[in-house]
Amino acid sequence: MKAELEELEAMWLELRAQVDELAGERQQYYDLFEQASEAYVVTDEHGTIADANGAAVDILQRRKRYLRGKPLVVMVALERRTEFRRRLRALCERTPGAQASWRTIFVAPQLRMDVKVSARLIERERSVGGICWHFEALA
Amino acid sequence: MNPGQSPDWLLTTVGAVRELMVKRLEAESLDGEAKREMEMALEELDVMWEELQGQAALLARENGRYAEFFQYAPDAYLITDAGGNIREANEAALELLKSVRDEVVGRSLSEYITPPDRVGFLTRSVGLMLGGTVKPLAWCAQLQPRGGGALTAEFSVRAIPLKKSGVGGLCWLVRPAA
Repeated sequence: MKAELEELEAMWLELRAQVDELAGERQQYYDLFEQASEAYVVTDEHGTIADANGAAVDILQRRKRYLRGKPLVVMVALERRTEFRRRLRALCERTPGAQASWRTIFVAPQLRMDVKVSARLIERERSVGGICWHFEALA
Repeated sequence: MNPGQSPDWLLTTVGAVRELMVKRLEAESLDGEAKREMEMALEELDVMWEELQGQAALLARENGRYAEFFQYAPDAYLITDAGGNIREANEAALELLKSVRDEVVGRSLSEYITPPDRVGFLTRSVGLMLGGTVKPLAWCAQLQPRGGGALTAEFSVRAIPLKKSGVGGLCWLVRPAA
């Protein structure tokens, strides 16, 4: 019985160590995203926000909880939305000449901000798995 | 590891431990009380496995999501170890260095700096590692991609703990200067 318990304990410790290793790995990438000084947002291929880091929250002027699940285009000024959608579609459809970076205007309550947005497709087995966005507030 | 699914090692270990407990339970040598205790232990074990399994699946899913962000960030990111060797490079970094991943990983980042700027680059890097600062620092240096002309780039760097080992490493954001 003692030998079996020792074996059990060894297995448990091994399992715990593997979960801790996984947690450490996840922490590194999480910190890279969350603590980046640059503003990053991850969306699906339709532009629906999956995650936004702290710097992006500062630019978008909304709580992170509010941002999740919202279309990114609703942060764009009304007169720029058609253009934004067109560029997003061209990017995802890999239209020749589609630009990965452009200027637009973000709106928040009592704020209009000129920004440069850069996008890169997340590649997943030949399909688009989502989009990583970078925002730079322009003076 | 497939994000969202329990890792194989977890299922294997769970199976092994369950088998061990069940065998013990089936042994004829157990009296009534010992058998009850074993049954209770087995139930507790099941609950713990479920919790751990859930935790591992969540971590695997989140790890996949943030790793994907790193890989496809619009900016060039590199991670170096204490010796200044490149551990990881994302897609944008590979494009900037005009190299494939196998050529980049394991090389010293300073090899991609032009000789006149290399000493200064190394001095700052070593200082960062020794100082262990977590504040981001930035400076410009001449980047030398493979088979391409040199270009001025801005290097922003901050100290990070490396995955698995947890020892100090550096995370570099490299941008061609405007």
